[in-house]
Amino acid sequence: MEFSKVAERISQKIGSKGHTVDPAVVERRLRLFVEEFSVQDDEAERSVIADLARQYAIPDMGMGKSGSERKAINEVLTGEWVTVEGKIVALSHSPSPSIKQTGIIADQSGAMRFVIWTKSNLPEVEPGMWYRFDSAVVDAFNGVPSLKAHSGTIITPVPHDEALIPTTTPLADLSPGVASVHGKVVQEWETTHERMLQSGLIGDETGTVKFVLWHDEGKEKLVPGTVYSLYYALVDEFNGRLSLTLNTATAIPEEGDIPVNRGDTTIRGVLVSIAPTPGSGLIRRCPVEGCNRLLSRQNYCPVHEIQIKFHYDLRIKGWLDTGERTSEVLMPRQVVEALTGITLDAAKEIAENSPLGMDEVAIRIRDKVAGRYLVCSGKELDRTLLVASCEIAQFDPITLADLINRASTDLSSRGAV
Amino acid sequence: MNGVIPPDTGVNGPVLPPQSGRSLTPFQGPKRDSTFAREPARRVFAGELREATIHFRDGTEDMSPAYVLLPTGERCNRVFFIGALTDKQRKGEQNAFYRIRVVDPSGTFFVMASSFNQEAMLQISRIEPPNHVAVVGKPNVYDAPDGSKRVSVRAESFTVVEKEVRDLWVLDTAEATLNRLTRLTAEEISGDALRAKTEYQVDPEVYRKMVYDALTQLKI
Repeated sequence: MEFSKVAERISQKIGSKGHTVDPAVVERRLRLFVEEFSVQDDEAERSVIADLARQYAIPDMGMGKSGSERKAINEVLTGEWVTVEGKIVALSHSPSPSIKQTGIIADQSGAMRFVIWTKSNLPEVEPGMWYRFDSAVVDAFNGVPSLKAHSGTIITPVPHDEALIPTTTPLADLSPGVASVHGKVVQEWETTHERMLQSGLIGDETGTVKFVLWHDEGKEKLVPGTVYSLYYALVDEFNGRLSLTLNTATAIPEEGDIPVNRGDTTIRGVLVSIAPTPGSGLIRRCPVEGCNRLLSRQNYCPVHEIQIKFHYDLRIKGWLDTGERTSEVLMPRQVVEALTGITLDAAKEIAENSPLGMDEVAIRIRDKVAGRYLVCSGKELDRTLLVASCEIAQFDPITLADLINRASTDLSSRGAV
Repeated sequence: MNGVIPPDTGVNGPVLPPQSGRSLTPFQGPKRDSTFAREPARRVFAGELREATIHFRDGTEDMSPAYVLLPTGERCNRVFFIGALTDKQRKGEQNAFYRIRVVDPSGTFFVMASSFNQEAMLQISRIEPPNHVAVVGKPNVYDAPDGSKRVSVRAESFTVVEKEVRDLWVLDTAEATLNRLTRLTAEEISGDALRAKTEYQVDPEVYRKMVYDALTQLKI
């Protein structure tokens, strides 16, 4: 238990009722419970709050009837019965007839998903309005907490006129749930599903995260290269990776630009070797949806066997060598096109018109980039650099001057005088 | 080209000392699976490579990598250099091979391209002197008929490159050589550096001068 953090939280809670408590006193009391009497953490917190509530005669706190304790949204825990007050910041399509409404409820502390069951016979909530959810249940689906309103829940509109300013979370600190972020659309990917409107990568100073936008009424694509404030996006986790679903989010384009940390590795080295066709150059890929594997010269996919309706792609598989270390590099079509000036269409034409066929493409690519100094950036996976951008290194006279200095300083400092 | 270390053919290859007393020791080097790391191509000037005479094999297996110890104290299994292709001679009838001379600011690299590496032979057959060529290859030390030791490079690939790439290589190689010299003259040094220091009796000044001269040629 982080005593100081919990003590701070408790003293703020009491503070919000108009009484001042010293967090140090609260912390001592917590420590007493936990360290001396081996009371469980949450029970200790509860006892301290109840104690203070009695002391200051604050009603509805601590040991009050279970479930009626009003909590800030970022304080609720999975499995709890809670009462929260918040603004409906988003409503989404109900995915099932048993769900009457679903969306996002937010207060100053944070936001979370909510579900109102059809069987609950509760009134509908309106977006943009504030409500108090009495005795709702928090449970988790796929590790994401959500607030469930059932037949025992009471939803009452509450008047509220203070502006709700969502706090944005740095991308590196995201966790499953609901979050507001400020980031730039750095990549747009081909959509892999007909229901998908757009997918890609959003980045900020701390990192990058995948985003998805599903087809929905009134939803528009984000513009690549633009910085957005995205309020109340859903953060999901799949295979240990987070992604943002933007359908619930309000996207506000911002002026200006921000630096993006892509978590990239940059290697400057010589492309000492290029794998021959079918590894590099014009390649054929398996057409089976979601496969996209490289086909052999006989159009054989390791999984789907012979495939006649393949599609063409362009890539370079090679070795980038710094003189100290060698990394395998994989360059996708866009990088190859930019680096060699040979487009996929041009490559197909070359292959059709040359007696060497696809080998001719590999030879031309090789002649343009092999033995050259390249600066490649991208994600590194097990010694393989998946190149996102690549440039031919330029001669820098300053480096020359520095090296001449180094070579001559060493000589004169050690040479005989 | 394919990243696999070819077995030593014995032709012009290093003469390996017998590994006595270790024949039953299991191979302890890196396994040839996913953890296999391709040997980096060291940057070295012709003036330094020419002076290398020590060669050895790391491990006792047939496929254990062979190294040449550079005078500045680093083992190298592979080298990369860019220079002017000045001469190319085709030799042999049935088993044709090429003898190639590539010149850098400090001297000449002697390069061989044989049918052992078809790809490299095909590439060199399309290139005529004079041209700036980038060469990747494996260095070998062999005994010349006059009893002296010679270094040649068995090519893995040739590419014609622009002059600016040659200049980049000179910078890169100058830096790598100066780094090796710094390590060689440091207080704590590696086993390879110590061996080079004692067996080659290196005078670091010679190589600093070589680097300096190579760099100042670029300034024009």
